Amino acid sequence: MVLQIISNGILMGFIYALVAVGLTLTWGVMDITNFAHGEMLMVGMYTAFWMFELFSIDPLLSIPISTLVVFLLGVLLYKLVIKRVLGGSGLTALLATFGLSMFLKNLAQFLFSPNYRYINGAIVTDKKIVLGNVILGLPQVVAAVGSIIMTLIIIYFINKTKTGKAIQATALNRDTALLMGIDTDKIFAITFGVSGACVGAAGALMSSFFPIYPQSGGLYSIIAFVIVAMGGLGNIKGALYAGLIIGLTEALGGFFLGTQFKYALVFLIYLIVIQVRPKGLFGW
Amino acid sequence: MKSKLALLLVIAMMFTLVVSGCTSTQTDAPKQNETPEKSETSEETPTNVDSVKVGAILPLSGSAAATGVKLRYAVEVAQEIINGDHPDIAMPLAEGMGLPNLGNAKIEVVFADHQGNPEVAKTEAERLIQNEKVVSLLGAYQSSATKPASQASERFKVPFVAGSSSSAALTQRGLKYFTRIAPNDDMETEVFFEYIKYLNEETDANIKKVGVVYIDNEYGVHAAEMVDKWLEAKYGAEGFEKVVSVKYPADVSNVDTEVQQIKAANPDVLFHASYIGDITQFVKKYKEFGFIPKAVVNYCGGFQDPQFTVNLGNDGDYFSGGAACTPQLFGKMEVVNKINELYKEKSGGVDIDGPALEEFASLMVIADAINQAKSTDTEKIMETIRTTKFEAPYFSTSAIEFDETGQNIHSASFMVQTQGTKYEAVFPVDVQTAKPVPFKDWTSR
Repeated sequence: MVLQIISNGILMGFIYALVAVGLTLTWGVMDITNFAHGEMLMVGMYTAFWMFELFSIDPLLSIPISTLVVFLLGVLLYKLVIKRVLGGSGLTALLATFGLSMFLKNLAQFLFSPNYRYINGAIVTDKKIVLGNVILGLPQVVAAVGSIIMTLIIIYFINKTKTGKAIQATALNRDTALLMGIDTDKIFAITFGVSGACVGAAGALMSSFFPIYPQSGGLYSIIAFVIVAMGGLGNIKGALYAGLIIGLTEALGGFFLGTQFKYALVFLIYLIVIQVRPKGLFGW
Repeated sequence: MKSKLALLLVIAMMFTLVVSGCTSTQTDAPKQNETPEKSETSEETPTNVDSVKVGAILPLSGSAAATGVKLRYAVEVAQEIINGDHPDIAMPLAEGMGLPNLGNAKIEVVFADHQGNPEVAKTEAERLIQNEKVVSLLGAYQSSATKPASQASERFKVPFVAGSSSSAALTQRGLKYFTRIAPNDDMETEVFFEYIKYLNEETDANIKKVGVVYIDNEYGVHAAEMVDKWLEAKYGAEGFEKVVSVKYPADVSNVDTEVQQIKAANPDVLFHASYIGDITQFVKKYKEFGFIPKAVVNYCGGFQDPQFTVNLGNDGDYFSGGAACTPQLFGKMEVVNKINELYKEKSGGVDIDGPALEEFASLMVIADAINQAKSTDTEKIMETIRTTKFEAPYFSTSAIEFDETGQNIHSASFMVQTQGTKYEAVFPVDVQTAKPVPFKDWTSR
């Protein structure tokens, strides 16, 4: 039984991590607290849903499509909204993303109705892996594996590519990066886009087992904030480890202490970490 | 700086989560000693007016918006029937336009969105009464929202007719201006046990071990309390015992842990108090983890939403729950069939469900009461609501009448079971459209 709970926690942890990776980029690099992050996840889920409904494209195959759609959405949101508030106070940017969040949620409700939708009949639907007494839902396993791959791609992109290094340089010191000839405006746009790409992929991966509705990104977004702060701002590996910690805390804590407390435990651990290590467990 | 901001943000979020999860128990008590600030409308008693405003507080956004929108359609259908001329529908106020005793005044419904937030429900109730001058309120679906909204209406002495909110606690507060159409969870729980006894007799199911799965809010917590109450008062002595009780957060990202706890206890029957998003997640996980109970009974909530069978297909079969109507009975009930035709025009072809019909009934009762009172005076309207037996041919009981607590004594609810993705009436026997079927293995559907 405990093995089953641990397995569930790890699978959820990887999924949380991918959502958080996107957030850690914008928060760490741009110092923007993006309250619309959950809604970008929702857009990713709806993209996969409509690809399946309209063109019978399986969510697994629509991962590149939803990744691209939310990447473009991220760039667009940066150009139209975020760019204009970057120079202002943190509160201005925070309120702007909060407004974006409300706008995207209500737009989804207006366009797609508030109904809870599920993708039935996807390749992974209703399939499971049985390892002794442990049952792993294939949709969750695929989502976890997808999350790991996507996270590794992001780590590679940030550490090994020229653009990634420019993002790191901009995160360290925007003015110096600008003096070094880095087009920080373009870097910010790419960063916001890559952040969107992460949740676009996460949305497609989650769409085969999680209900799709206008508020579907909300709770994941809140948990992502905790993971990012725990893992250290801008630290992608930190987000991955913190995601696992949160997933396991939720599963084990919920099982042994009562499921009604599972999120309370998550936030309690976060508060303890933030007191002991204000920059997060893996912050720099 | 970033870390401090992070701390600040997360504390704010935690506060929001805690508030949204717990405010059902933190609502203000009725201010008995406070002199009520009377609604201006109640001071006027016009007998001929152009229109009469009624407030409808529903979850039109937020996690329950999917249901809230359907309830809105039902209220709009009631408004259409009252204000338009529908001689083909044999029910009060259908023939002729408007309220005949008030010079054919129209009913104007002012909708408000409480977002599933009890605090918003309260402020919206106050706004509707003070600014919009509504003479009565209906809503609010989630019991946790109905509670503070109806306390506000009590303070202003404005009638509140709840349609589908099921927490029995709502009618146990001694409020004078609150009534409820739907059977409460106390009544539902007794029916559930009687239904299980019927299943045991009919199918040799030998159901004894009870599990309770409920959302952590007013609706869920009170439903769980009612199971305990009935086990202690009656059914425990008949061999039923509770083996597991699982309370889950109001906003939940996954239910893996919850289902593991349930599976470990292996109950014969599950009593579910869940909304549509949660119950669908639970069913998917029951299937994934191979949990096969002998029966699942659902309080008025997500199971009754037709989206349940749309999302789950045959995996949603053999679940049961209380309902005020089912499309399988529409053929026998001409009035509700015609209401359903109007409803489907708004819902895009989706049939009216139990909670929607109960909200429909709320507006019909309010309009009927205003018409019979021949006044928009809130005291007179409330007096009429309290003392009148209303015709309700759209319910199986054909009547609505409130007891001294405000509870409708002609409970219209019966047990339905999903069979072949249809809601069949299965209990009591006199409304039966199909025999109940024991829960089947996930692979043989």
